[in-house]
Amino acid sequence: MDIAFRSQKPAAVEVQDLHVRLGGNPVLRGVNLRIEAGRMVALIGPNGSGKTTLLRCLLGLQKPDSGSVRLLQEGPPGPGILKRMGYVPQRLQLDPSFMLTVREFLAIRRPLTASWFWRPSRQIDALLHEAVGEMDVTRLLDRPVAGLSGGQLQRVLICSSLLNEPELLLLDEPTAGVDTPGEADFYELIAEVHRRRGLTVVLVSHDLSMVYRHASRVYALNGVICCEGAPEEVMNAESLRQAYGIHFTPYQHQHPHSHGSHGH
Amino acid sequence: MDIEPFMLRAVLTALFLGPLCGFIGVFVTARRMSFFSDTVAHAALAGVALGFWLGLPDPTVPMILFSLVIAGLILWLKERTALLNDTIMALLLSGSVALGMVILSLLKGYRGELDRYLFGDILSVGWSDAALALVVLITVGSVLFWKLNALALLTAHSDLAHVSGVPVRWLNYGFVALLTVTVALSIRLLGIILVTSLVVIPPAAARNLARSLRQQILLSLFLGLIGASGGVILSYPLNLPSGPCITLTLAGLFVLSLLGGRLQRGHQNAS
Repeated sequence: MDIAFRSQKPAAVEVQDLHVRLGGNPVLRGVNLRIEAGRMVALIGPNGSGKTTLLRCLLGLQKPDSGSVRLLQEGPPGPGILKRMGYVPQRLQLDPSFMLTVREFLAIRRPLTASWFWRPSRQIDALLHEAVGEMDVTRLLDRPVAGLSGGQLQRVLICSSLLNEPELLLLDEPTAGVDTPGEADFYELIAEVHRRRGLTVVLVSHDLSMVYRHASRVYALNGVICCEGAPEEVMNAESLRQAYGIHFTPYQHQHPHSHGSHGH
Repeated sequence: MDIEPFMLRAVLTALFLGPLCGFIGVFVTARRMSFFSDTVAHAALAGVALGFWLGLPDPTVPMILFSLVIAGLILWLKERTALLNDTIMALLLSGSVALGMVILSLLKGYRGELDRYLFGDILSVGWSDAALALVVLITVGSVLFWKLNALALLTAHSDLAHVSGVPVRWLNYGFVALLTVTVALSIRLLGIILVTSLVVIPPAAARNLARSLRQQILLSLFLGLIGASGGVILSYPLNLPSGPCITLTLAGLFVLSLLGGRLQRGHQNAS
């Protein structure tokens, strides 16, 4: 932890001694976390480790009992800071009876296209052109959001979260509901967005295998940050045993590395 | 052709409230709030009974106020207790109906009024009701259009709405208040038992034909207008309560929309 706090690079996320109790149970027990701006990092941990609670604290949806959250070097999550952030949830709560199309979903999130209801689709498409092209969702524009597959929905959610040029992007279990080939495409896409835009990306996931390939730093959470570091450092059996509370043999992945070789 | 004044009042009220219920209903169905709508409608019975007990000639104000109190109680209990939504609503629905029935039973001469409020009666629609319906149409309709993006985002994902700067809690309260006023006011036409049909059937029928939210809203507005006014007009020559007539008209429109939707899909598959 001390190593991270000695870093001189500006922090996109700074969490200090964060405590949260839910229903009387301590979920976060003094979390300290510092994420450097411009990094793509993963926050991992088993179910019930407090990942979602920590994410909710970062989004301003959960008030901590004590401790502090400072985002983008400005302060706690409030309306001003949230405007500079993007959030990709696991899935939407959309009922199939709601005929919101991808075009409309993207349009409602952008001030330029806020009056979509009164304007022809052509005009909306022209205003969304750049964003939908980057994420390759042009062919999905007419589709109802409730009818998209897991992979298509994630693509649309990322596209919508990037519309307002965020500096910090938070993704909650982004590949839940995505098939295995889709997962690889998805992480490639996120990595590409990260490279191109230089924004800070925080992936919250229990999917251990993906962090080897894409995250430059990993934080293992289980009520507190048990260990942090480069993927190859964190993904050793002892660190993961601390985080997951069980003996764990790291996943021997077969795919090529994108952030240099590491032995595990 | 001469139109009876009571008929004109009822048709105008239907023309004002039908599209409004259709519009707000798009979000009610998508947010799975049909039972909520039913609960605040049933709560109105206690409000009506209280109005009579207080000796008011027109119980509209206590009816709306009591429904608002019950709507607030639903939200309060949802936030403060571990009770499930369904349990809270069933509790308040049955409690309100029981309270209303007890008060009406204690009052002499109001048993006849009960049917009017249970099933709707165009004879009971006064000019003040029509004027109030117009005011509510303009006010609630404007707010719904003004907050359309925030409501759509809230419907899709409340946390996403929060991150996008939507004041989720206040929007939720506001939406519930608008829905409650709209539903309580529509009780004159449809009655307590059937009023939810005007909120639920138009968006459901619109969903069978629409390919976007914009189309669904516009179609739902239109179907609400046709269903409400058509039902009121039919109820007069048939000498039937307006509530069942509106609901059956809406049900007919729903069946047509199902057929239309199938034809539409068949045409798409063929081409």
